[in-house]
Amino acid sequence: MNKFYRRQVVLTTLLLMFSIMAIAQVRVTGVVKDTDGQPMPAVTVAIKGTTNAVSTSVDGKFSISAPADGVLTFSFIGYNTKEVNVDGKTSIDVVLSSSMKQLNEVVVVGYTSKQVSQLSSSVSVINGDRLRDVTSNDVVSLLQGKAPGVVVSSASGDPTSVSSILIRGAASISASTSPLFVVDGNIGGTYNASDVESVTVLKDAAATGLYGSRAANGVIIITTKSGKAGVTKIDVSSTVGFNTKTTGNFHLMDSQQLYDYQKTFYNPDPSVLKNNTNWFNLAFRRALTQNHTIAVSGGSDKTQYYISGNYYNEQGTLIDNNNRNYNFRTNVITKLNSKLKLSVLLNTIYTQQTYPTDNLLYDAYLNLPFDPAFNPDGTPTDGRTYPGWLGRDNENPLQGLQYNFSNSRSLSTNGDLNLDYTITKHLSFATYNRITLYNDKYVTYYDARTKSGGANSGELYNTNDYSSRILTSNRLKYDNSFGNHNLTLLAVGEGEKNHYDVNRLNGKGLPPGRTAMSTATDIISNPSGGTDEYNFSKYLGQVDYNYAGKYFFVGSYVHEYSSRFGSNNPSGNFFQAGASWILTKEDFMANIKPITFLKLRASYGTTGNAEIGNYAALGLYTIDQSASYGGVPGAYPSQKANPDLTWEKIKTANIGLDFGLFNRIDVNLDVYQKTSSALLFQKPLPATSGYSYVFENVGSIRNRGVEINITSKNLVGAFKWETNFNIALNRNKVISLEAGESVVSPGAAHPIAVGHDMNDWYLPIWAGVNPANGDPQWEKLVTDASGKTTTVLTNSYTEAAASKQYTGTSASPKFTGGITNTFSYNRFSLSTFFNFVCGNKVYNDSRFYFDNDGLYESYNAMVPASGWTRWQKPGDIATEPKAVLGGNHDSNSQSSRYLENGSYLRLRNVTLGYQLPQNFLDGIKVRSARIFISGDNLVTFTKFSGVDPEVDLSSGTSSFKYPISRKLLFGINVGF
Amino acid sequence: MKTIKSILLIFTICITTTLFDACKKVEPSTAIDEKEALSNEADISTATIGTYAVLRNPEYVRSGHFLMEYPGDNIAQGQPSSDDLSRCYRYTQIATGAHATAFWSQAYHLIVGANKIIAAIPDNASADLKQLKGENIYLRTMVEFNLVRIFGRPYPQGNGNNPGVPLLNENSTDTAPARSTVKQVYDSVIADLLKAADLMTVAKSNIYASKEVAYALLSRVYLYMNDNANAIKYADLVINSGRYTLLQGGAYSGYFSGVPEDNTETIFCIRYTKTQDEGFSAIGSMYYSGLGPDGTAPITTPGGQGNTGWGEIYASKTYVEDLDKYPSDLRHSFIAPYTIDGVLQMNKKLTPNTPMYYITKYSFQEGIVTLSSPVYLRLAEMYLNKAEANAKLGNAQLALNDVNVIRTRAGIPMLTLADIAGGNVLGAVLEERRLEFAFEGQRAYDLFRNNLPLVRNYPGTHSLNNTPNTNTLQTILPTDPRVVFYIPQVEIDNNPKLTQNP
Repeated sequence: MNKFYRRQVVLTTLLLMFSIMAIAQVRVTGVVKDTDGQPMPAVTVAIKGTTNAVSTSVDGKFSISAPADGVLTFSFIGYNTKEVNVDGKTSIDVVLSSSMKQLNEVVVVGYTSKQVSQLSSSVSVINGDRLRDVTSNDVVSLLQGKAPGVVVSSASGDPTSVSSILIRGAASISASTSPLFVVDGNIGGTYNASDVESVTVLKDAAATGLYGSRAANGVIIITTKSGKAGVTKIDVSSTVGFNTKTTGNFHLMDSQQLYDYQKTFYNPDPSVLKNNTNWFNLAFRRALTQNHTIAVSGGSDKTQYYISGNYYNEQGTLIDNNNRNYNFRTNVITKLNSKLKLSVLLNTIYTQQTYPTDNLLYDAYLNLPFDPAFNPDGTPTDGRTYPGWLGRDNENPLQGLQYNFSNSRSLSTNGDLNLDYTITKHLSFATYNRITLYNDKYVTYYDARTKSGGANSGELYNTNDYSSRILTSNRLKYDNSFGNHNLTLLAVGEGEKNHYDVNRLNGKGLPPGRTAMSTATDIISNPSGGTDEYNFSKYLGQVDYNYAGKYFFVGSYVHEYSSRFGSNNPSGNFFQAGASWILTKEDFMANIKPITFLKLRASYGTTGNAEIGNYAALGLYTIDQSASYGGVPGAYPSQKANPDLTWEKIKTANIGLDFGLFNRIDVNLDVYQKTSSALLFQKPLPATSGYSYVFENVGSIRNRGVEINITSKNLVGAFKWETNFNIALNRNKVISLEAGESVVSPGAAHPIAVGHDMNDWYLPIWAGVNPANGDPQWEKLVTDASGKTTTVLTNSYTEAAASKQYTGTSASPKFTGGITNTFSYNRFSLSTFFNFVCGNKVYNDSRFYFDNDGLYESYNAMVPASGWTRWQKPGDIATEPKAVLGGNHDSNSQSSRYLENGSYLRLRNVTLGYQLPQNFLDGIKVRSARIFISGDNLVTFTKFSGVDPEVDLSSGTSSFKYPISRKLLFGINVGF
Repeated sequence: MKTIKSILLIFTICITTTLFDACKKVEPSTAIDEKEALSNEADISTATIGTYAVLRNPEYVRSGHFLMEYPGDNIAQGQPSSDDLSRCYRYTQIATGAHATAFWSQAYHLIVGANKIIAAIPDNASADLKQLKGENIYLRTMVEFNLVRIFGRPYPQGNGNNPGVPLLNENSTDTAPARSTVKQVYDSVIADLLKAADLMTVAKSNIYASKEVAYALLSRVYLYMNDNANAIKYADLVINSGRYTLLQGGAYSGYFSGVPEDNTETIFCIRYTKTQDEGFSAIGSMYYSGLGPDGTAPITTPGGQGNTGWGEIYASKTYVEDLDKYPSDLRHSFIAPYTIDGVLQMNKKLTPNTPMYYITKYSFQEGIVTLSSPVYLRLAEMYLNKAEANAKLGNAQLALNDVNVIRTRAGIPMLTLADIAGGNVLGAVLEERRLEFAFEGQRAYDLFRNNLPLVRNYPGTHSLNNTPNTNTLQTILPTDPRVVFYIPQVEIDNNPKLTQNP
């Protein structure tokens, strides 16, 4: 051997000896499983800082040699990477959780909680923070644009009003189309926006199944916050801001504009120009919104608690309009012993509201700029006595507002007492009981010195009402696994009682300024009041099965009784079935890297609707005061009987696909069809039958649609950008009506006819202005002797009203949705949220008053929208008829003239937030702090000529709208 | 563990009780089941009161007032309005008019309700039950008569051979019948009133029906048919029954402000009690506004529009001029001109301006500014029915005698044959009818059934029908299609057997 070779051998041996002595290696074995308990093959197990790695076998087992003080990393696409210190251990078992946040979320669905990944149904989950970007105390309005297929519309910017919500189109004609609300596991209940942890929207039959009998319009499940063991948290948040009214494209005329317009059909005196009152601005103000919450939560393994108090005060932009809310909640969950768990959830909400009086909104629109609002000494003028008052209603609302008021206070208390009892390892029993009590008082006062109260020397009205609801829901559950087979059986018995009573009294002849009922010297009308009751009871059973967390099947059957239906059919039976398949858990999918999650689901079932009046099936003679005569009580027929009246039924079929791409894009796609049959509706009757209508179950309506929800993490580096886009299309069609009829309300603007959308417009067709004489024109259908129909033009509204036609448009939107973009960099975050409604036509009813071609010279008029021209001389081609005092041939009567495009895109919210740096916060012993500035309803893009294209989509009509507010808010969230 | 067991036991009891309670049937608190509504005499009496109560519904009495009075020439609308009442006044009605639709609907609801009661009472029941049966027949008939004169052409045109309104009686099974002819309706009305008069033997107060109420309506119906002998016969039966006397002097001036049951001249009125005031929705609110110009005077002092009522409809200029022929005419107390410092105010919304002569026939009952119990039949009409029938039979002096009863009561000089220009006694009778029954829903019918045109030549929104609209002349011939209202479009939509008026 040469010298070189000998040196190599010695060095190598020394190295080996050192490496063995210095770094002790351990052989580590173990199993990697997922959160369902299923073994995960092909997981990469690596030694951190090296390229040494192995893969887990088909049964999730691995074996690797690692340094005793090393760190093992476990990674798999679509799952959160886990790091485990070896610490000399030879056996390490690891559970990997999915990084798809939405799949891990546990949601409450029909008496049980499940992870979203395990559901066979179409469900949207919106968690609290995403919910609370917009500032409002009405949770329904916070849902607008956040979930596909959920269309929220607000007919008013009044803070005391609530928005209406429609899920997957209207499926009912006379019964309510509102979804069922479930709070903390039971139907009904109260909640405040600040206490909401998450909102789950259930849309198809399998999801809504267990509420099936009343869930035809979807179910909204609200879960309130609860404490977590071990971590005591105090959270304080405060938001303060300003609201101002938004008026869109609508403008009222000022004095000069109105004078110039009136000169074309009337002879206004030029002296009217000496005043130029902007009534709209006088009636509105810059309003203040405040929202303050303090919440304490925490607990131990045995007991967890969440206690919160919230103060919410939103002034309306209309003066004298206010909504003030005090909310207190206590949620306590405790384990009495190893088998028994008790939850007590208490919620009290005290609300004070003031409402505008004296026709303030109406006068703001209609009063003339020619009339002054204030006397030279600054006091409001009185429209009744001011010499030369020109406005038609002789009313200055500001005069009445000095003394008149209308307000209410209410107290609602909700208590839940829930017991969960584990009988054996597999069998458990739960009883959930709720009592809700509600009480409110309304007071309205009109002073003797004002127009509203003058005729009776002062008027005072009091209304008191009370309602109570008691509900008990008892559930027996059997849960077991046989190998890969997992089975859950559930049986539930539930009963609910509701009671309501009201009394109303009034007085007149009150001394000016006195508002106590005892100062009244007489009554205006007799005191009135009564009670109302209704009950439900239901039994149901459900089977829930899954195989290896891959294949899921659920089926249920519900039987419910309601006191609202006829004596022949008070109960309804409903069934639901759903199935789903997680493809990404199959072997053949394991190698398709871009697809991180793929699930196919389908469901089918029936749900019901019982939301009509409480006595709709009975034949009644009314015995209230309208039936009395000469001071003697009487009775007259008021309602036609229908003992066969029963539940409305809806069959829903839904197919859905959920997939994730590249761990960055999540897509949910749903295709559905819901067909309602046995619809509850008020069928109109000829007057010669003695009644105006009767309640019947007739006909069938079908809603079909597609919903898409896409969440995409576009950029994930230091600068993050995430987009959520949701869009829904729904198409509505009336399939059949009873007894071969083809129309429900012939002649109505929404006739509801077979083959048409429920909200199709049926109106006399406006045919523009006659260039020869400026007359309005409508289409008239003329059928000659041979049966051929031609269209001619007429200026007689009576002829037009006898020739109504379908306009080919509808008040239902073609598609709706929302787009949210969230950007974050460092500790800053910016989110923008747009919502849109497209393809609907809105009937702008206020144009009856503002765009009526001279009918009223004592009301204000609107500035013509762009593109509108008025006829002035023969030969003019114009959009607006000649202005004639007293109206021009009833040109403002209902027709397609006032039907406008209601589509809009609205920037509903922009929020810029800053998270204070952690080291700064540690110094002042604060856990987290965030400040933000946010704006609501900043910009709306629309062609609609009225104040706001957003209307209650079931009526599709915009009248004197209380405009929605543009809000600018500042807030701070601090956690201790 | 024991405590927990007992808690669980209490729980189970509470839950089971709730579950059982939830299955109970519920009943409304302000309505009764129709199966129990007519089961005994007390119930029938209660249901009859309910039939009267339907008359009080504004959709019947207020809309009906617009349909029956506003086509006349005693009133003037001082400013344009989008309310359908404007079309009733201007003769520009449309088939979707709100008031015709409301009136038709309430009228038939009343008829069907009354028929249910009539069917429940056999013809040989006790005297009290027969009285109730008669009252229900009277109410049904009164409403049918109103319907046929609103929607059907005057009887003398074509001798009643024109489309009328659907007829319903207690044996009807068709809930959507076709229109009977005007003659068929009149014949049915007469037969029913005769039967009702037979059945009613109790002399109830003037807010309910009784035998003489049926006779009074018969007199009017026969007059409308030009059956003059019968018109006189039944008017005499009412006058000679001794139940009614004409109000005189101060009592007459305050005719409409007392308690209705105490009024000896009213034969039938629709009673509103003090707590049933309709305020701005009352008939009187269109005619009057009080509290004086600055809102602080009593309600009996006329004031600006909007104080206590709309004050948009006034007595027409020509009516007041006719009344002013004799300044002592007591009927001036039913007109309240709105003056400020003695100057008559004008409603400036039209050119020429409309003088604001407020009307008080529908105000001040029991001191409440918009309360009134509208009078449908009163004794004065019996005299003028006789006068008109006699004039048409050629009994000029007999006619004038009855006219003079009314004139004397009104405090104006009597008429002699020599005073009548051209011997037109009928004209004099109709003129007296106009002065006496102004605002009571009779004028347009009085003209058209006598084949006379309605001529308005005074300020009012009817001038807006003209070009230029300062031309205040409007002439409606008795043959004009708009003398009758359109059948409501919604009723035609729901009952294809109904034919529309041209």
